[in-house]
Amino acid sequence: MRLKVWGARGSVPAPGPEMNRYGGNTSCVEVTTASGETLIIDAGTGIRTLGFALPPDMPKINILLTHLHLDHIQGLMFFPPCFRAESTICIWGPTSLEASLEARIARYISAPLSPVEVRELPCDVSFVDAPASEWEIGGATVRAEAVTHRGPTLGFRITDGDTTVCYLSDHEPALGAALADLEPEWISGYNLARDADLLIHDCQYTDEEYPGHEGWGHSRVTDTLTFAKRVRAKRVLLFHHDPLHTDGFLDDLHAGARKKWAELGGDPAQIEIAREREELVVGDTAGAIEPASSPTTASS
Amino acid sequence: MLVSSMSGQQKPLELILARNLVTSIATPSFLVARDGSLLFYNEAAGALLGVPFEEIGRMDPTEWIGSFGPFDADGSPLAVEDLPLTLALREGRPAHATFTIRSTKGESHEIAASGMPIVSADHGASGAIIFFWPVDEERARELATETHRAHG
Repeated sequence: MRLKVWGARGSVPAPGPEMNRYGGNTSCVEVTTASGETLIIDAGTGIRTLGFALPPDMPKINILLTHLHLDHIQGLMFFPPCFRAESTICIWGPTSLEASLEARIARYISAPLSPVEVRELPCDVSFVDAPASEWEIGGATVRAEAVTHRGPTLGFRITDGDTTVCYLSDHEPALGAALADLEPEWISGYNLARDADLLIHDCQYTDEEYPGHEGWGHSRVTDTLTFAKRVRAKRVLLFHHDPLHTDGFLDDLHAGARKKWAELGGDPAQIEIAREREELVVGDTAGAIEPASSPTTASS
Repeated sequence: MLVSSMSGQQKPLELILARNLVTSIATPSFLVARDGSLLFYNEAAGALLGVPFEEIGRMDPTEWIGSFGPFDADGSPLAVEDLPLTLALREGRPAHATFTIRSTKGESHEIAASGMPIVSADHGASGAIIFFWPVDEERARELATETHRAHG
């Protein structure tokens, strides 16, 4: 599988010169399976630039939404294929007792927040309320399960042949739980992430920042690493960067995470950090462990 | 204890969150699966039952009823069908009752118990959570103090 990060930021876009290396766009990851099928995970502002890069004649675009917080859907209204009559788009997202996926997304793509309504989009768009289940898209198996965050939120496990990627962009599995000691069956997201070749995981806060943000639905470094250790992830991509975290800050966060991972008995090279426009190759197709691109090494 | 392999099927998120909640509070609480199996109880419940959950683990309904009761005021076993947790599971609504339980140390406690169903948006009833407390106010105060000290 090949992945490209189009947005790694959490909460709100964070543009600015001090954010250039990691990027300011919110969550969006493009996954290309071995058969060439493309899946898009989350539609944060990063999906806008992804939309320009997609071939205009792409037969069908599948978008998997973890949840409907604005940093995961804000780019939808600016996704170029939405405005092409020849595009077919299928959007998968969490169920809710309150309203259908389409009705909930329409609250954003409607007046007064938007100049267009969902029904006015020229593309052929469908919405699938995805319960905790498993389905196939283009030869890959997608499994969705509810995970610990605020509001209905899914995590995804995508398996393509022998390769598995798990995406848990917004996840606080340690909330009220002793992650290091708890039996696996009681750990949110465990089944989705176990033995993943690549775990893309929320790491919004440092350990020092976390006490003021407990219960906000995001993880601190230590909890991300403890979770990764418990699920035996082969590689970890730290994701959903706090909008206040500058390039230098994230360099230090990454270096600290690698050091902690080594203390847990892991190889520091297994811990990577998401950078916008970074491409990664996962699994045997590349015969590679390191990212396809060569991101800047942590500074300290 | 670090458990590295799956010891059972992954619990649905609402049960995971319910366990996280009862772990964090001082009110004696009991978590059961849809089939009535005991999944977890917290430290405060352990103080009343005479044994921490970690020492006994998951139990099926006949096991935990055999160990802890319930009993009526005369010490006769109560019908399981009348328990708050049974009503919560069977009828999908909160239920409340007062009865006697027995700790592993042989002590009897008259308790009030409220059971509430846990129902998922995705797959319906997952189980129930039961909060309970000693009817004897002095014992209730002792229990709260013990729990407070344990966390102090």
